[in-house]
Amino acid sequence: MQEQMKTLEYDVLVVGAGIAGGESALNLANIGYKVLMVEKEPSIGGKMILLSKVFPTLDCAACITTPKVSEIARHPNITVFTDTETEKINKKGEHQFEAVILRKPRYVDVDACTGCQLCEEACPVSVTDEFQFGLVGRKAAYIPFSIASPRAAVIDIENCILCGACERACPPDCIDFTQTEEKFLVKIKSVVVATGFDLFDPLKIPRYGYGKFKNVITSMQMERELAPTRPFNTVLRPGDGKMPDNLAYVLCTGSRDKSVGNPICSQICCMYSIKQAQLLLGALPMADVTIYYLHIRAFGKGFNEFYAQAQDMGVTFIKGKVGTITEKENGNLILRYEDIEAGVVKEAEHDMVVLSVGVLPHQGISEKFENQKLKLDPFHFIDQSDILASPAKTSIEGVFVAGTASGPMDIPDSILSGGSASAQTTSYLRKEEL
Amino acid sequence: MEVEKGKTAKYLKEKQGIPPQATEQLKQFTKTKKALLNALKEGDKTVPQLADKLNMPGDAVMFQLMSLLKYGFVETGEIDDMDEYFYYKIKSNGKNKS
Ligand SMILES: Cc1cc2nc3c(=O)[nH]c(=O)nc-3n(C[C@H](O)[C@H](O)[C@H](O)COP(=O)(O)OP(=O)(O)OC[C@H]3O[C@@H](n4cnc5c(N)ncnc54)[C@H](O)[C@@H]3O)c2cc1C
Ligand code: SF4
Ligand code: SF4
Repeated sequence: MQEQMKTLEYDVLVVGAGIAGGESALNLANIGYKVLMVEKEPSIGGKMILLSKVFPTLDCAACITTPKVSEIARHPNITVFTDTETEKINKKGEHQFEAVILRKPRYVDVDACTGCQLCEEACPVSVTDEFQFGLVGRKAAYIPFSIASPRAAVIDIENCILCGACERACPPDCIDFTQTEEKFLVKIKSVVVATGFDLFDPLKIPRYGYGKFKNVITSMQMERELAPTRPFNTVLRPGDGKMPDNLAYVLCTGSRDKSVGNPICSQICCMYSIKQAQLLLGALPMADVTIYYLHIRAFGKGFNEFYAQAQDMGVTFIKGKVGTITEKENGNLILRYEDIEAGVVKEAEHDMVVLSVGVLPHQGISEKFENQKLKLDPFHFIDQSDILASPAKTSIEGVFVAGTASGPMDIPDSILSGGSASAQTTSYLRKEEL
Repeated sequence: MEVEKGKTAKYLKEKQGIPPQATEQLKQFTKTKKALLNALKEGDKTVPQLADKLNMPGDAVMFQLMSLLKYGFVETGEIDDMDEYFYYKIKSNGKNKS
């Protein structure tokens, strides 16, 4: 049976609700444009909403994200569809685009859900929590994380045993297993692509032992361990619960490395590692933190001072290329590295290792553009066709790019880029109105 | 077809059944949960002590124990004399006494 598609009309479609897409949507909405923002995850906020504190100011990430996210959620000119993927986008003419979007069932009436978590408590199922990057479990009926927006439950249908306990526990009766996929045809005048980035998967570098050695974690996992809504009672080793006192960072994991297919610098890893090192010294006052680096790239405003501050606090910096990591019986790790300044190979023991994983392009969106080509750059980020004069411009007139969808960048630059995308979108839309 | 509110899980179960891996997953979790809670009922323990007693890898104990902490069955106790491992204990007002 062919399902009837509902038609929706907006001025702009923003694909991806990270900090960059959010900034674009807010600016456009504030000057009166009607914006539809689609996000594939059950919450908006992208990666930033999951961070602990942010360099170079050490502001708490949630304190910056939460007001923005709630402004987006409450804005009369912004409609947010979470759990929604874009199936295709076609340009019908200047200021005329059509997109088909697919909203997956959440099995919860989001507007009626109060976020009371009684369903979560009632659910007997426990599976890996993707929002804690695998460090802890979550229920099959769950609120993605405490500052999620919308702060409403989701049912993980693949792991649900359909016992009905959540439904019986829910006071406003908002769980509904009869929900099905919905498809919409969206008519818009312009599109902002803000699909963000992916993290490098360190399983691709087996000599670092990620996955096999449980006390080797990624920087995103450490970010969670340091966040107020952390998975453990404090910073602990996932292998055995020991409070670490001698941690190492391996910078450039999966960046500037042709052998893994990513020759470029990720721009953020030096700084977020320096940030985490400072936070670790606060959380674990007795701990030593060593950062193994090739070059420290501290080029932004306040960055070099932030780096110096870490040195003053006692973080050790070793210019060294880590070759292999091996594990001792007690779970400690031996790093074999080339000391670049001394020109010799050395070994050092640490009780926990953090891999500072790099930024990769989040692929897939360019294929959704059917009748015109959304060009990618040589590294598979969205190509900026006029990078100096109009940085948000893409190969399709009327389609603009915001944030890390165009290349690695930090939060301040993602917000600037989101701002630039909204300004250029406005100028494109105004041309029609003139 | 109108499905009665509050009974929709039954409707979907009849319509498409339960994914087999979900049932298996639940069985495993229930088993480990019981083992961990029983071990803690005998006295507060660290992760290595639990791993030893239950003959489980440390990381598996850590994952399940931290999940039980999150779900409100377990709470954190004192740290050991070497300042290395925390003791964990049954939550005093724990919901699950079974
Ligand atoms: C460990 C770590 C620590 C960091 N710490 C800092 C810091 O301290 N300070 C700092 O300035 N920066 C930091 N950063 C960088 C920061 O996270 C990024 O600069 C920022 O999050 C980029 O935002 P974005 O909106 O471009 O991308 P994202 O946050 O990736 O958002 C993109 C969004 O689009 C969605 N999406 C993707 N594809 C689709 C699709 N097809 N349809 C619908 N939705 C889609 C995604 O689900 C996501 O929500 C850190 C990064 C990491 C990894
Ligand atoms: S129906 Fe599914 S989500 Fe609800 S309590 Fe049972 S297992 Fe959990
Ligand atoms: S019990 Fe109902 S209202 Fe409460 S969080 Fe779950 S779905 Fe929402």
